[in-house]
Amino acid sequence: MAETKNKNIGIIIAVAVIVIAAIFYFTQKPKEVAVVEDKTLHAAIADWTGGIITCEVAVAILEREMGYKIKQTVFPSGTGLWEAIAAGELDFACESWPSYAEADDVMFNEDLLYDGKVVKSYKGDGTVDLLGTTGIIGTSDYWIPRYAAEKFGIKSWKDLNKYKNEFATIESGDKGRLIGCPVAGWNCHDQKRLDLLGIDFQADELGTEAAAIAEAKAAYMREEPFLLYLWTPHWFFGEFDMVGVGLPEYATCEGDTFTEANNWKTCGTDGWPATGWDKDYTMNYGNPGTFAKPEHAKAKAFFEKMKFENNDQSALLVEVDINKRDVKEVVNEWLDKNPDKWKSWLPN
Amino acid sequence: MSSEADSIQGKSYSSKNIITYSVILITFLVALWLSFQSDGPSKMPKVVTDQFTFTAWVNEGEDYLKKNYRWITKIIASFIKNVYYFFEDFLIDSPWLLIAALIFLPCLIAGGLRLGLYSLFVIYFWGATGLWEPSLQTVALMSLSVLLCVVFGVTLGVLCSQSDRFENFMKPILDTMQVMPAFVYLFPALFFFGIGGAPAILATMIYSMPPIIRLTNTGIRQVSAETIESATSFGSSKLQLLFKIKIPLSLPSIMMGINQVIMMALALVVLACFIGAEGIGGQVWQAIRRLDVGWAMEGGLCILFMAIMFDRFSMSFSKTKQILPSNVQKFYLLPQSWEKFTIARIIEKPLELLSGQINLVCTNLTKFIAYVFEFFISFADRQTAKDIGEIILKRYYVIPSFILILTISFVDTYMISIGSFPEEWRLSIRQPITNSVESLTVNPGFIAFTKALRGFVYLKLLRPLDMFLTHVPWWYTLGIFAAIGYFTVGIRFAIITVILLLFIGACGIWPQSMITLSSVLVSVALCFIIGVPLGIIASYNERFRNVQNVVLDAMQTLPYFCYLIPVLMFFGGGIVSAVLATVIYSIPPIIRLTSLGLTQVSDTYSEVSRSFGGTLLQTLNKIKFPLAIPSLVIGFNQTVIMAFAMQIVTPLIGGKGLGLEVFNGLARSDTGRGLAAGIGIVLLAIIIDRISLAYTKKQRNALGL
Repeated sequence: MAETKNKNIGIIIAVAVIVIAAIFYFTQKPKEVAVVEDKTLHAAIADWTGGIITCEVAVAILEREMGYKIKQTVFPSGTGLWEAIAAGELDFACESWPSYAEADDVMFNEDLLYDGKVVKSYKGDGTVDLLGTTGIIGTSDYWIPRYAAEKFGIKSWKDLNKYKNEFATIESGDKGRLIGCPVAGWNCHDQKRLDLLGIDFQADELGTEAAAIAEAKAAYMREEPFLLYLWTPHWFFGEFDMVGVGLPEYATCEGDTFTEANNWKTCGTDGWPATGWDKDYTMNYGNPGTFAKPEHAKAKAFFEKMKFENNDQSALLVEVDINKRDVKEVVNEWLDKNPDKWKSWLPN
Repeated sequence: MSSEADSIQGKSYSSKNIITYSVILITFLVALWLSFQSDGPSKMPKVVTDQFTFTAWVNEGEDYLKKNYRWITKIIASFIKNVYYFFEDFLIDSPWLLIAALIFLPCLIAGGLRLGLYSLFVIYFWGATGLWEPSLQTVALMSLSVLLCVVFGVTLGVLCSQSDRFENFMKPILDTMQVMPAFVYLFPALFFFGIGGAPAILATMIYSMPPIIRLTNTGIRQVSAETIESATSFGSSKLQLLFKIKIPLSLPSIMMGINQVIMMALALVVLACFIGAEGIGGQVWQAIRRLDVGWAMEGGLCILFMAIMFDRFSMSFSKTKQILPSNVQKFYLLPQSWEKFTIARIIEKPLELLSGQINLVCTNLTKFIAYVFEFFISFADRQTAKDIGEIILKRYYVIPSFILILTISFVDTYMISIGSFPEEWRLSIRQPITNSVESLTVNPGFIAFTKALRGFVYLKLLRPLDMFLTHVPWWYTLGIFAAIGYFTVGIRFAIITVILLLFIGACGIWPQSMITLSSVLVSVALCFIIGVPLGIIASYNERFRNVQNVVLDAMQTLPYFCYLIPVLMFFGGGIVSAVLATVIYSIPPIIRLTSLGLTQVSDTYSEVSRSFGGTLLQTLNKIKFPLAIPSLVIGFNQTVIMAFAMQIVTPLIGGKGLGLEVFNGLARSDTGRGLAAGIGIVLLAIIIDRISLAYTKKQRNALGL
């Protein structure tokens, strides 16, 4: 017992010593000059590479050209993010895809402009501020690898049924398998679309993008045929040669609000979700309180003008995900090389 | 298994056995017939599920709390946040040498040179893989949660030990805290406590506090009656008894609790990345989003090594053995028996010299300082001076550590800035790991194996069981559960079971919970098929057991995110991958406890059996297994609980059932829906847990243990 006690005292002293050393160290170090308060913003960095790049471009310009200090927190997309912004925990986030978030319908109360035209009007409660489009326009489709398209001669979605056995797996039985839109909360309604178009496939929801892409990647490496739901721009297309099956054009139909609240009311193959997706004019969004402040007027003006293009993002995606380079390094290099592309986004 | 147990209970039971088995068989056949009769998954009538709007009540309650009490939680959150950021900034902004010294020296002092060297390796690994900052963020998050857990956990544990009523009140709460999927409260925590450190720390506390409460409670309750008696007879008051006798005597148990808290906290801080807490978890998640297996594995190893370090560090506290000064004993890094190999000697030689040098410097330095202190104080009082001198002399390592740390900070502040971990020391293992996974993916032999396994698990196990369980009418399943509960535990438990299952049914998640049940059952069955033979081998071969223990430790500590991607690439997304991931996660306890149970059977029994001419197999089958049943059931029990816990992660790779329901609830910001599904998981787990524990108790009594 006595020995234990001795040892315990020793440990207590050791801890005390460390604490004192820490305090000593702290008091010695000259305090950093506090940054001017009114030029700081807190950004949410997305958890998928495209979103990260868009956000890093915005952050880099705000920091390099406009003298902002941006605190960055990696925050997986989803409902939590919207609530965090509404609560003012975060100031802004980048690249929301309207097809995938119900939150924008509920939380925005503004017109979405692209090239000066109104693309969509939102009539929510305005708890989150729509800062303008990012410039990236997303499109979604079902894709098959080029080797499979050439082998079977599949030209469009109408040919899929003929080769459904090639696309079948143990789980899907005699139907083909679609590696579907992975997250239930995104409201892609793959199975509904397949049924309405008469494609005899089974849509499997794998829960995360990573899961869907991992299966697709493994299948590609084994040169097996597979049908994959995916959007562009996406790094997957930089690494693997895929062909879209070209789903029918998107057409609106009156009163079609295919949501849970509306009891999944559809108007058949004429409207969403039976046909293709609408174009996703992706947007940046932020906390209304923060961007109403006069000191952030310039940041708001910047976000309104920002217009990052698909090609640019795709090029950077390849650098980051396939050549495994650091995002910040890649973004800064792009900014240095292409000043003409982003100078016009700066507020006057 | 039960037949073996019964066979030693004598022939008088055999007629009763026949009746029992035929009843079970008939019940099963009726269930099968019923499941073929129904044309869709069984559900409670819509009238009931529409009336019982648990989801809406929860959401209303949450809204009410959000509106009226958020200011309180904000105050708590901002306090925790400030402490956390202060600590985190200190760790990240400090020169790396200082951090290394702050980790290395306590390890050295508490655990000797071996742990010291290991901690140096861990520190190097963090830096070398380029995960220096995230690692330290995780350390900050974990240490603060552990600190708070210990403060609150010990207090609650002491309260539990003082009052039986409070203990009974806490028991179900603790069970719920451990099994409730963290995702259920992770997101609501965000609304109340903001993002980042504060909610992450609180969520970690919910998850990892139960063990320390339990172990403090049992530790204090186990203090022997004689000790208490003698203390009381010397006139100790109740408080004195508690603080001077009971708590000090239960320190080893409390230390064990801290150890478990650390391990569990490390498991949860990985999930904290979902609410904006940065650290290794975020890195691993990003790596997974980019399918970078190597990167994910590097992050996982950072956590694994960190966990082992903290584990050994906290273990060394609960040991009473004095380690220092170490100069009395020669230091060996490798096993002593290896000394016959030249290479071992070559490795040992410099280490031996080094440890000698460290000892020499420390001893002399301490002596010198002791002498100086003694000299100056002796002017005032000779006796005090001698005492102080002696106190200093005993601290061989503490004083030099203090000096080293001061020197580092002095050098950094006034001479050269040391900064963060040097870039040139980078050493990445990403590419080899990625390459090996990719080459396995395209290996034809391996493809054939994975295809066969996938087909077997899905067609032979999962689909039939899924169909069976979802199609059997809910009232029938309910009745069976109640009957099992009645025969193993008692009438009270049977009634509780019925109420709990009715709750699940009324929430409208009956089919999902049956899917979850079937996934868990299949996973547990696979765990049994694979785990028990491994346990048997381990019980006969000590070397195999040692190697296996290391592997099992790694499997339990490695964040499960790390192996999800390889599993997906090999088996494709979906319910099969979900089951296999569950098997990987929950197999360790069954292997461990099989091997433990078989080793613990006293040699006398096997000796007797052998002398009567029993073969190895007969001994195993007739003697060892029946005696090891209690241990096996505990293993089964733990495996089941872990399999249930994993159900919340499997939706990330295509799992279905209640876990998916939780995610769907969260995706729509519908806390009630998530909570109902989470409660469903907890209830199923608790029911099975209680039944198997009661079964063990009966077996123990039957065997006279």
